[in-house]
Amino acid sequence: MSNRERVTAVSEKNSPQGVTQQSDESIVDPKLLELLVCPLTKTRLIYNAQTKELISKAAGVAFPIRKGIPLMTPDAARQLDGDEK
Amino acid sequence: MGEAQELFDRILLAQRRNNVAASAGDHAFLLERVALDFADRLAGIKRTFPVGLNLGAFNGVLSRHLRSCERIGMLVDVELSVEMARQCDGPCVVADEEFLPFSDGTLDLVLSGLSLQLVNDLPGVLIQIFRSLKADGLLLASMLGGETLKELRHAWLIAEDEIYGGASPRVAPFANLRDVGSLLQRAGFALPVVDLDRVQVTYSSPLALMQELKGMGASNILNARLKKPVTRALLQRVCEVYHQCYGLDDGRVSATFDIVNMTAWVPHSSQQQPLKPGTAHARLADALGVKEMPAGEKARR
Repeated sequence: MSNRERVTAVSEKNSPQGVTQQSDESIVDPKLLELLVCPLTKTRLIYNAQTKELISKAAGVAFPIRKGIPLMTPDAARQLDGDEK
Repeated sequence: MGEAQELFDRILLAQRRNNVAASAGDHAFLLERVALDFADRLAGIKRTFPVGLNLGAFNGVLSRHLRSCERIGMLVDVELSVEMARQCDGPCVVADEEFLPFSDGTLDLVLSGLSLQLVNDLPGVLIQIFRSLKADGLLLASMLGGETLKELRHAWLIAEDEIYGGASPRVAPFANLRDVGSLLQRAGFALPVVDLDRVQVTYSSPLALMQELKGMGASNILNARLKKPVTRALLQRVCEVYHQCYGLDDGRVSATFDIVNMTAWVPHSSQQQPLKPGTAHARLADALGVKEMPAGEKARR
């Protein structure tokens, strides 16, 4: 499976000021994010710092991060809207 | 064509674990035992593991024991239940063992304590683990298997048969040692070693055992389970049968937990390899001090 790639963090240049200041418990270890791929397609995830979600374009879903813990189960995933894809 | 129904209701498992997460530490004695055993086994392996996973982390008890091990770098807890995951103290991901969110060839070590007995597709999970490990990566896992809870299974069977004229599935089926060994090989692992640790636990009553199982979040999650409440008469009969068959002299009852331990490696050129047939430097007959015979000829008595 050569299409398996790693997570890339999206830079936060578009986020309004103040949003980057996260409370301690909501910070995810960047080393952990690097390890993760989409559990359904095993393809790369894009980290959206504003919505605190890991987006899988291939599966068309977003996995939420709650209190610093990525929720990577199929039933925790949110279906992406048409314009998010 | 309808899909075959899965054995376990994994969503129910997550709910059960969520419900008991707050007091999970009171019922983790088997996992503590596994943690000490894992620490022992890792102590004998002379290499480092920069990135490791703990699959089915429960409340993180296994990782708490093993993070002090210098040779393990980052150890990530993977747990199905959100509430359990919140009890873990290191890096943590909520994920289903059946849908691992890790890319190929990224991990050095996968640990798993007492969770793989509850997956629907064990061969598939082992293949996913195999792929996520690097070459020369290690899988060190234990799961409940063999004759685990045979006493409880028997007591329910007798009691239900007497009262309803038939039995329903109460205790999950468990894999035996030999099957686990062949599944590891089928997934591609090299040097698989499987062993069994039998733990006999005594309880004041069968009800105390059932309470403990509930506290572990390990109540029945079989899809084929009977979905009507247990009557008082049935429960009483289960306890009577249990006492009669597995009662001890001091009035307590005994329960069996068979922990199946597996150690297996992703193949690598540095691992020991079998020699090609015919390349031996010494004769077996010399070592045994007997006369060599051509193959197929019977030794004379």
